[in-house]
Amino acid sequence: MPDNARQPKHLSDRTFGFLLTLPAVVLFAAIVLYPLIGSLTTSLFQQSLVIPGRSFVGLDNFRHVLDDQFWPVLQNTLVFTVFSTACPFILGFALALALNTRLPGRAVLRGAFLFPWVIPGVVVSFAWLWIFNANYGLLNGVLVQLGLIDAPVSWLGDPTTAMLAVIVAKTWASFPWIMVMLLAGLQTVPATLHEAAAMDGAGTLRRFWHITLPHLRGIIGIVVLLEVIWNFQHFDMIYVLTGGGPAGATTTFAVAVYETAFKGFDLGRAGALGALWLLLLLVLVVGYVRLAEREEKR
Amino acid sequence: MTTLTVAAPPQTRKPRKPRPWLAMIAVIVIGLFAFGPVYWLIVTALTPSGDAFQFPPRLWPRTVTFEHFANLADNPVLGRYLVNSLIVSSLTAVLTVLVSAYTAYSFSKFRYRGRRSLMSLILASQMFPQALLLITLYLLFSAFGLLNSYLALVLSFTTFTLPLCVWMLKGFFDTIPDELLEAAKVDGAGQGSVIHRILLPVSLPGLVATGLFAFIRGWNDFIFALTLAGPEKQTLPPGLVNTYLGEFQAAWPDLMAASLVVSLPVVGGFVILQRYLVAGLVSGAVKG
Repeated sequence: MPDNARQPKHLSDRTFGFLLTLPAVVLFAAIVLYPLIGSLTTSLFQQSLVIPGRSFVGLDNFRHVLDDQFWPVLQNTLVFTVFSTACPFILGFALALALNTRLPGRAVLRGAFLFPWVIPGVVVSFAWLWIFNANYGLLNGVLVQLGLIDAPVSWLGDPTTAMLAVIVAKTWASFPWIMVMLLAGLQTVPATLHEAAAMDGAGTLRRFWHITLPHLRGIIGIVVLLEVIWNFQHFDMIYVLTGGGPAGATTTFAVAVYETAFKGFDLGRAGALGALWLLLLLVLVVGYVRLAEREEKR
Repeated sequence: MTTLTVAAPPQTRKPRKPRPWLAMIAVIVIGLFAFGPVYWLIVTALTPSGDAFQFPPRLWPRTVTFEHFANLADNPVLGRYLVNSLIVSSLTAVLTVLVSAYTAYSFSKFRYRGRRSLMSLILASQMFPQALLLITLYLLFSAFGLLNSYLALVLSFTTFTLPLCVWMLKGFFDTIPDELLEAAKVDGAGQGSVIHRILLPVSLPGLVATGLFAFIRGWNDFIFALTLAGPEKQTLPPGLVNTYLGEFQAAWPDLMAASLVVSLPVVGGFVILQRYLVAGLVSGAVKG
């Protein structure tokens, strides 16, 4: 084969282009792929974090996990995911619409509203831990003084309110990102469409329904799906706010797998629970990649 | 907050018929929810301990104190966490920029078989549950004696920051005309010098934005540092949890002061590079 005349000393463009991705591919293989396969394999063994060696137990771990942990954890994860996606979405969408009007100072506001999303998740948790505090918390103080509750409530310590409190905190941290994404989408809606429709007598609501929403369909799909995927595996805020408690009321898959592996030292069961978790997650991720590819082709 | 005097930037298109009153009500209500906790964080950090622990709480402080910030400076453990956070986040930023620049250049300017699959794979990799991966990662790093090391944290952070950074940079490289790179090749520049002498210098703003984003991600990470590092190498987020939440009665004003300090670099960096980050986030999520 004669060499390419223009660049005799170099690899072909294709080979070079592929080689450029090698560092990323190696990192991906070592930090994601190998651990993924390893953790899934663990589910078939009885293995401890602290004692070396392991023994094959077949599907025993799955049987145990499905018997006691899986269903309550699935329920908690679903409740957390649905409400921690829906609440910030509604809030973020409302704010995006509000900031897409001729409001004074909206550029500054858009930046300021990002604050809750920018600060570290651990700090968000600290702030809400303090607000929800049973003895000195701001929320109890305000509600008692307004006469809405008679006595302070232990928001994070009561199994009936703990999940609600976690969702409120997560909503606070998530809605700014949704606002930015939807606002970016709103700004691509051609104003002429709205003007023409308004000329024809279409009201605000009808224009929102027939012009704005169809235009945003793609970005709404991606934002919602990404939020669902992230919430489905969220760990930081739940762990800091409640540690999965009280009485397991806020134990989602992320917390359960972490606790089983690193507090209970039972890697086999953690792996089995994680495998079931991943299976559910995979459906969502495949959906996201499909949707993202379709959006790029548009 | 609705009476800001800053003029809105000139519009390139006419906004649709405004309903300012409805928009203003929405902004005020959501603003209370968004900034109330921030206000409370700051107020608590400035309130003397005696006043902070009373019920019902005082909505504005009677006296302002900086004693809680002084307490932080007196705590050598926090200083160590801070240094760890700075080191790990900086190294993460550098490594992420290097790796994602090569990868993004490849995705942006080269066409080869398997490119699409690679792109999907890297995009999907940020979505594998970290708690599950950590089961084996812990054993893996342990086997190499890397538990409780900066390297373990940097490698983990970098891997999970890569996908978004690759997409941010790919968007940047897509805007660089092919002719510029081709011209250099015609002049005899090798593949390597095209990258290092032309592509990277031209993309400096994008690289800085990407690096800052990676720094923030490393700075904010919780679960990897919590699991893979002990007290000597732990970063601020798990460090603060271990320092303040383990006690029976948490020192809330101190913790709020620490929270402000931890948030400062992130907020500062974000304000500087907001434009790039927002654009990068939007294109990163949509143009997968």
